[in-house]
Amino acid sequence: MKTSTAILTKQCKDSLHNFPSLMIMLIYPSVAWIMITAMGSEEDMSGFFVPMFAAMHGSFAPIAISSNILSEEKEKGTLRSLIMAGVSSVNYLISISLFVILATMLTGCAFLLMGAFTRDHAVKFAAAMLAGAVLSTLIGLCIGICSKNVTAANGIAVPVGLVLALLPMLGRFNSTIDRVGELTYSGQMSRLMQDGTITVQMMAVLGAHFIALCVLLTLLFKHDKLK
Amino acid sequence: MDNKMIELNNVTRRFGEKQVLKGITLHVNKGEIFGLLGPSGAGKTTIINILTGQLSCGGSARIFGISCEKIGREVYRRTGTVLDNCGLYDRLSCADNLRLFAQIHQTPLFRVGEVLHQVGLDGCEGKKVKTLSKGMKQRLGLARAILHNPELIFMDEPTSGLDPATASEIHALMNELRHKGTTIFLTTHNMDEAYRMCGRIALLSEGKMVAYGEPAAICRQHCRTAALNIVTADGEKLLLSNSPDHADVIAGLMRSGQLRSIHSCEPDLGTVFLSLTGKELDQ
Repeated sequence: MKTSTAILTKQCKDSLHNFPSLMIMLIYPSVAWIMITAMGSEEDMSGFFVPMFAAMHGSFAPIAISSNILSEEKEKGTLRSLIMAGVSSVNYLISISLFVILATMLTGCAFLLMGAFTRDHAVKFAAAMLAGAVLSTLIGLCIGICSKNVTAANGIAVPVGLVLALLPMLGRFNSTIDRVGELTYSGQMSRLMQDGTITVQMMAVLGAHFIALCVLLTLLFKHDKLK
Repeated sequence: MDNKMIELNNVTRRFGEKQVLKGITLHVNKGEIFGLLGPSGAGKTTIINILTGQLSCGGSARIFGISCEKIGREVYRRTGTVLDNCGLYDRLSCADNLRLFAQIHQTPLFRVGEVLHQVGLDGCEGKKVKTLSKGMKQRLGLARAILHNPELIFMDEPTSGLDPATASEIHALMNELRHKGTTIFLTTHNMDEAYRMCGRIALLSEGKMVAYGEPAAICRQHCRTAALNIVTADGEKLLLSNSPDHADVIAGLMRSGQLRSIHSCEPDLGTVFLSLTGKELDQ
């Protein structure tokens, strides 16, 4: 527990000094705020922009941040020094995941302030953000484990993150993309954020993604052991 | 009581098709500086990784009498590591870097100031690591390694890429630690460093141990040409083979008061390595 707290504290301090990471965490809430403010005088666009950008935030940011943290620690040898100090790989991954999920939720709160949500809808919105953050963090960790350095990690994380983040938005303009988007967790997350309705298909897609990503992460971790 | 901190017995390790360690057998005694000497790719870091539980191996590797495959938190509390690339968080301050490891080792936070003083980094608490020179980073790495007063420190090429003055500062710190009873396991490809710092060394080449023992004894043992280096009173330098034929020459110089100095010419570690493997040590 003390080790996890120490890693979490370290990560908070480090991320506050890491401008690219801060940008990734703040870019979607900022863009949403700018769009809502710019179009505010014409009509209330928060119902359109908030779920859209929130889904982008919840799917893209955790993938980019978690893969970046892990690959940077591997590249710079800091992960090796942590492990040689007796930090278990599992403990490290849990601490980093916790940081990414907390940071995503915290910055994601901005969307709650921007949108006009009922209490019930706000809870479901937060639940959707949490689900997205967890699943995206798992993807980010998988990418981080496979990558030897930050460049390699970004090379995978950015396209994967962008596809997942853009699918829900593009689905609004094209029914085929919408049908594909329904099969992804980001699509279901966007739907829950938009109308606050929980469906069986939604639970099945989220559950299937969670199980598949946990299995993938376990396999990759057993194979690479954060080396 | 067993004096051995580290014991390797017929240790082997393979990466895919490549056999990187071929039956390494050695031990490290308490309170000594032990040097693992070899060129890049000889298997030095692999041995450190095995000893710190990062890699499995064939044969038997033990640290504090515990099998390296069963290393737990207790062993990590008794060891410190100085890595060749420092492994420090660039965006954090020196003190924050040390605080993180103090918390991991459950060491009181006042030790942070103490070790910074010990390595000569007073006043650098708030400095970001990315603003430090390589020598200062290496000293900070050493501060991190000694933060929890470990009994054994692994030093992986601690002076690699440092200027001679900074390297000698690191050597002074190592000697200070040895006098306090800390055991140091040093890997290096610097033969002078190994000769001056280490009580015993092992020479590695392509995963095989080619020599093992005290540096001076290894040099004497592999002395192929017995020669004497003579400097006369006039400053003339003579290199004579150590044979009866030259006894009269030396005696004559001594009788006439012309002999200023006479030394036997043992090869240095680099020459020994070259003669054993046919390769340069710092390749």
